[in-house]
Amino acid sequence: MTHTLPTSPPLRPLPPSAAASARGLTRTYGSGPTAVHAIHEVDLDLPRGRFTAVTGRSGSGKSTLMHCLAGLDRPTAGTVVVGGTTITGLGDDDLTRFRRDHLGFVFQAFNLLPMLTARQNVLLPLELAGRRIDRDVQSRLKHVVEVLGLGDRLDHRPGELSGGQQQRVAIARALVSEPDLVFADEPTGNLDSETAAEVLALLRRGVHELGQTVVMVTHELDAAALADDVVVLADGQVREHLHGPSADVVAAALLGPSVAARDLGRTR
Amino acid sequence: MRTVLLASLRVHTRRYVAAVLAVATAVGFVIATDALASAARSGLNAGVGTPYAAADLVVGESFGLSESDLEATTEAAASVGAATTTIGRAYEQLTSEDGRQLDAEASIGTVAIDAGAADPAFRWQEVVEGRAPTSPDEALVDERAAASRQVSVGDRLTIGSGTDVVTVTVVGVAEPVPYLGAPVYLPWSALQQLPSAYPDAMLVAAGPGGVAEARAAIEAATEAPVSDREAFVDERRTQANDGIDVVSYLVLVFASVAAFAAVLVVANTFTILFAQRSRDLALLRAVGARRRQLLRSVRLEALAIGVLASVVGIVAGALGGLGITAVVRAIAGAERIGAVEWNPAWWVAAFVGGVVVTVVAAWWPTRAVVRISPLAALRPDEPTDVRSRIGRRRLALGLVVAAIGAVPLAIGVAASQVALAIAGSFTTFVGVLVLGPVVVPAVIRLLGRAVGRSGVTSRLAVDNAVRNPRLTAATTASLLVGVTLTVTVLTVMATGRSAMNAEMDAEYPVDLVLTSATEAGSREVVDRVERTPGVDRAVGVPGTSAEAGELGTVGVVAPGSDVLAATRDAGAAFVVGRDEVLVPYDVERGGDVAIPERLTLVGPAGEVDLSTRLVPSRWGGSLVVAPATLDALTPEPEVQAVWALADSGADRDALAGSIGLIGRDAGLGLANQLDRRAWVDVQLDILVGAVVGLLGVAVLIALAGIGNTLGLSVLERGRENALVRALGLTRGQLRRSLGVEGLLLAAAAGLLGTVLGIGYAWAGVRTVVQVAVEDAPLVVPVGQLALVVLAAAVAGLLACVVPARRAGRIAPAEGLVAD
Repeated sequence: MTHTLPTSPPLRPLPPSAAASARGLTRTYGSGPTAVHAIHEVDLDLPRGRFTAVTGRSGSGKSTLMHCLAGLDRPTAGTVVVGGTTITGLGDDDLTRFRRDHLGFVFQAFNLLPMLTARQNVLLPLELAGRRIDRDVQSRLKHVVEVLGLGDRLDHRPGELSGGQQQRVAIARALVSEPDLVFADEPTGNLDSETAAEVLALLRRGVHELGQTVVMVTHELDAAALADDVVVLADGQVREHLHGPSADVVAAALLGPSVAARDLGRTR
Repeated sequence: MRTVLLASLRVHTRRYVAAVLAVATAVGFVIATDALASAARSGLNAGVGTPYAAADLVVGESFGLSESDLEATTEAAASVGAATTTIGRAYEQLTSEDGRQLDAEASIGTVAIDAGAADPAFRWQEVVEGRAPTSPDEALVDERAAASRQVSVGDRLTIGSGTDVVTVTVVGVAEPVPYLGAPVYLPWSALQQLPSAYPDAMLVAAGPGGVAEARAAIEAATEAPVSDREAFVDERRTQANDGIDVVSYLVLVFASVAAFAAVLVVANTFTILFAQRSRDLALLRAVGARRRQLLRSVRLEALAIGVLASVVGIVAGALGGLGITAVVRAIAGAERIGAVEWNPAWWVAAFVGGVVVTVVAAWWPTRAVVRISPLAALRPDEPTDVRSRIGRRRLALGLVVAAIGAVPLAIGVAASQVALAIAGSFTTFVGVLVLGPVVVPAVIRLLGRAVGRSGVTSRLAVDNAVRNPRLTAATTASLLVGVTLTVTVLTVMATGRSAMNAEMDAEYPVDLVLTSATEAGSREVVDRVERTPGVDRAVGVPGTSAEAGELGTVGVVAPGSDVLAATRDAGAAFVVGRDEVLVPYDVERGGDVAIPERLTLVGPAGEVDLSTRLVPSRWGGSLVVAPATLDALTPEPEVQAVWALADSGADRDALAGSIGLIGRDAGLGLANQLDRRAWVDVQLDILVGAVVGLLGVAVLIALAGIGNTLGLSVLERGRENALVRALGLTRGQLRRSLGVEGLLLAAAAGLLGTVLGIGYAWAGVRTVVQVAVEDAPLVVPVGQLALVVLAAAVAGLLACVVPARRAGRIAPAEGLVAD
């Protein structure tokens, strides 16, 4: 069911059209003959205001790609620009501040600090930034909470919430500071299919109703199919960047380049 | 970060319990010590002034007065109409009317006799029964002494032995006092006849001319220092207080050992806790907490815990101190232990100390927090990194520190420099602690082999105990400190005691002596003594009564080889040349009696001129000569003395009583050497008991640390434990394996600590004891040490009970689900 809400006034000016870009991104573990090239010379542009899924088989480097794009890990080579800022050259403090102020995170499990209430968890990045919870923030919070349907759960601790509710709180935390990019790492991995569908729907609403950009790493075809765009990784490189594909198309792309090229058009 | 900090404190406080307890114990220790010391001080302070209350001036200082000082002062005071009395002391044998020896060396004090109404009341003793003495042959007894030695008003006491005895009648009982107290008080005129008597001070009450005149007169007459009463009492008070201060500072040494143990426990707790919370901390880093923010937050957490622990410690210490003081007061007497007077400075110092200890101990673990990568939040089903490698750097560091410590230790031992030896020992021990992750797991594996590879529980236990060497070493470190110190102390004490026993055998070669200068014993007496229960052996020593010039009538004995069998050091003290006579300490009294270089002994059949040799042993006051010399003195030697050796473990008092009675029947006096030996033994026992008890505090802290670590690592290993339970390990097996793990940890610390302790004891003995006593072999009290290791192992086992139960309760399914 859809729910049309008045859009809230934007808190910050609009950044350039690519939410995040990577050029020549490489991440290698180890050295010498035992070196593992998790991702190798990846060039990628993630459009703003879209829900992008990054998928691939295990070992394809999708998680590593996300870590590097999100500033959680340092690439061996290459540059990453997020929201207009080149993050690959930043020191740890600056990188941390960047994550705090410009990014939102939703993980597969263990998203929340168990000793804080839902409300405290949602406001955590703002508290870390030392931002006062003023009227603008309060109204944003109210908006996000309404969209995610959390109204009566804000004062509960994570231990008192179901898996699905915990993910909603995590999404709320990711959205409340109006980040340039929301990174979701297998957000439905631990959920049953009904709850998973709800969470994905909420992420979509975050994109289409709140104007956020969401990048989701997933290995589930159904989840990837709900996204606006799908990036398919194989052996540490981008094999496909698909727009609005169905699950079949994604499955085909995962199987091999010849199949996809034969059946469908692609966009890069 | 404030929300996170407060929430985390609220939630995690339970896991800090052991750390809080450790610091609180150390803090409480300090506070309780202050309580007891201040109570002792106030008891003493109240009493110090009492003996001098009636005086205006006091003549004398620490070293007492000479005879000439006494005379001069008395004359000078009399010349201006001032009154004087002498306060003095003696140490003599105390015998009851019926021959019962009450005390081998009692302290005898003075009581001023009211010679007339003109005298001020110099008498400071409070008489609670009977009356005060009025003549030189009357005495007062202390209330407590009267009760324990069964003396009552009207009894006659004999004070002294040999020729210099004083007989007095007890006319009253006095209240016990903390300062200048004694079991018996005699008037100075009677006391001064005893050989060991010495004057301590003279009290002067000014006459009609006033204090200044009296002072002038006395100062003109004698060079002894003259002080106002106030000044004199103040100085004595300071001296007495200094004595208490010294003891309380010594006890603080133990408090610092406890604090050291606490530091180790706290550091360990924080390390484990941060490892467990690394997911939380990684999440914070991922969503934007800077390293510095995180660091500050965990350090504030440590500060809060430190404050909490210090407060708890102060409250517990105050209550404990009051309690202990009350108990000690009940035992030692209300006159000696007064009211507790709190010293705010100590409270502040203890509080600050507790906080500092916690913060310092947490410093290193908090530093590890900054190394947590935000990635750790992303894959929570990966287990926290439980393994750790032993870096080569750590190995090198440990060896270097130990080597650095070995230098001052070696020098200190060789040159008998205690400070250097202690510094060196401490440093080498720190080196061993650093090498802990290498050494401790090795010891555990050794023990594990002894425990046997039978059964899955012991295999699991051994593997779990050694898999994380750094954690294992940290857990056992504080117990290692406690055990090493205890073993060192016990071994040094045992060595010292055996060395002292050897000394005492030489000084008191005979346990019991029946002899008289004038009367001879008989074969019958020897038999009666030998048959007395508690007597191992008795011999009659041939000798005779002889005149010895200025020494008067003495017994002279010539112990033959059969007699020497009844002595303790196989007669080494009785080696005497043909023209020598041995004069024992009982006769010479350490200089109280002047012994000429040559002595002529006149026996019934002849006289011999001999050179005297002073021997620092005691055997009842007979002079010893060679058998040939005795032949010259008398053709028919009699049983001049009966020497007896007591059974070990004999009831000393009963034995002395029985032998004393035998002696009385035969007209012989008893010299009881057993009491003196026993007194030294008791002092050593008290010292060892006190030291071990104080160290026990540190050991308790350490054991809390082990239980704590095990509990926390049970939580950490939750997934693994659930896995083995799912695969078929029963609850009981899991619990047993944890129990064995705790046992192994504690036993390893016990064994390692014992080895180290014996080593340090050897160093200590060589440094300290061998200066005083040559060739003191190291005595290892195997029984006591075995008890220590056993106690540590059992306690380690007990420390696991709670964590083991908790581990057993987790259902396999619970533990396996990713949370």
